[in-house]
Amino acid sequence: MSSSLLHPPSHLPPAVALKHSQQAPIILKKSPGAVSTSIFQSLISAPETPELWTTYENLLLSCLRTGDDESAHQCLGRLVNRFGNDNERIMALKGLLKEADADDTATSNVILKEYEQILQDNPTNIPILKRRVALLRSIGRISEAVSALISFLDISPTDAEAWAELADLYFSQGLYSQAIFALEEVLVLQPNAWNVHARLGEVLFVAAKSSDNPGQWAEALKRFGRSIELCDDYLRGYYGLKLTTKELLSDPSKLTPSRATSDGFALPDVVTLGKLDELATEKLAEIVRRNSAGEKGWQGYDKAEVKAAKELLEGDTAAITR
Amino acid sequence: MAQLQPQTIYRDPQLLYWILLPITAVMILTGVLRYYATVLMQTAPKKLEQKAMREQRSLLHGVAVRTNFHVLSEPSFRARRDYLTNAYESGAFLKDPERRGQPPPNPMTDPGAMDGMMGMMKNNMAMMIPNTLIMSWINAFFSGFVIIKLPFPLTIKFKSMLQAGVATKEMDPRWMSSISWYFLCYFGLQFVFNFLLGNENAANQMAQQMSGMGPQNAQMFGPGVDPDKQFKTEAENLAVVEHYSVLDGVEGRLLEGIKSK
Repeated sequence: MSSSLLHPPSHLPPAVALKHSQQAPIILKKSPGAVSTSIFQSLISAPETPELWTTYENLLLSCLRTGDDESAHQCLGRLVNRFGNDNERIMALKGLLKEADADDTATSNVILKEYEQILQDNPTNIPILKRRVALLRSIGRISEAVSALISFLDISPTDAEAWAELADLYFSQGLYSQAIFALEEVLVLQPNAWNVHARLGEVLFVAAKSSDNPGQWAEALKRFGRSIELCDDYLRGYYGLKLTTKELLSDPSKLTPSRATSDGFALPDVVTLGKLDELATEKLAEIVRRNSAGEKGWQGYDKAEVKAAKELLEGDTAAITR
Repeated sequence: MAQLQPQTIYRDPQLLYWILLPITAVMILTGVLRYYATVLMQTAPKKLEQKAMREQRSLLHGVAVRTNFHVLSEPSFRARRDYLTNAYESGAFLKDPERRGQPPPNPMTDPGAMDGMMGMMKNNMAMMIPNTLIMSWINAFFSGFVIIKLPFPLTIKFKSMLQAGVATKEMDPRWMSSISWYFLCYFGLQFVFNFLLGNENAANQMAQQMSGMGPQNAQMFGPGVDPDKQFKTEAENLAVVEHYSVLDGVEGRLLEGIKSK
């Protein structure tokens, strides 16, 4: 269990996060509160490990998710004891805790002021810069969050996390081409991230649906294909592929070659599309079947995603029988 | 000819307690102290100013675009290339644009560069001073003592190594002098330090010396490098990229890959 405590907890399913935070008091009791810095003690006792502090940090985040503020404060206290108040990461964690405690906009505004104060002293405090964006977003000042993020990305254009957040912000505002640009930046920095490939495919799909640009249809299809190529049995990739081929095959006017532009990607022909559709359907059916049968090695999928795939397939068969 | 009589030298047993053990103990203690001294003297890595960070990361961004261009579609790659080459050539990302074209500042006078050098100086000092002190201490007090006999025979070539400071021609090379014992400790205590202080620590002087001698890793943002020139090179590198996309023909690959399984 403690091995999963070493991973960043933001992607843990809620059940696991709950489990972690329920264990928090035990872990806190078991681990030393402060590692002595004296020379003689460190000669005798076991050396401190970076894992301990990672565990505290992740435990803190899990506890915040489940609302166990007391344990969270304890974790933070130990981290502060070790690294001091001026550590950038500790400052961000402290801010996070304060944000969690704040329950109205006024308090949030006070915290925002504090962040701005910190940033005036040290304009390159990256964890705080990011927290500020997150806080702005959480209190609904989206446009300010976007502009803060853009100015951050101007000084640090190699931060994939920030680009991804920007893409998400743009997407939530319906600015698809900007979101696509930002996701492409993420891919430039992390070229083999299959989840980002699939995400970009999803955004392209939505954009193509609203603008009906054939290049975007083709690219969405190819992005999903790439994500499957990078990660076998990737449910989201197959789902997107299925959805795209279905959309394209149901409307033959999208496939007329005269509409293909010289720029960007061309759509594959109907035969290939049919094959891809078949492939995706087959694979999705397999995933759903094996997952619901409880087969070993097929259990890592998100329940909601499997259910969505099932519904997509059922809709498909219903359309055929009709 | 009769077999050579093994040499016997009668040594005071007190030599063991008053020379051999003290030298060893002092070496271990200085190693441990040196480790803590370097920990204390370490300055936190200097904060980058906003502008400098922008300069470095913009360059890295260009490198990322150049190496991973294949994830982009042709138009989006072209847009990025045009933007980056323009900005690189006009010096938009430079820390101080008015310094363009001037020769890079002398690294000796640049305060930022001085910091790094001071760090190196400190480390070297932490290595050299104790070693000099101990060596002169041994020379002053224990020079000329023969302290132990190694339990295995050695050829005559080892004489200069093992009997430094004892100028006796006829003595068997198995006898070891105090100063040589010091050198043996100096090179051989690494594992003791590893055990005492945990792996990979500063008392590990050999590793330090090795890293000092090894090839310097390419200093991308080191002192004395002109960022404007780097940007120009990067712009050229970007301009010659021949674009292809990993998305070309991905459906074909996918269908074939599944079929072959």
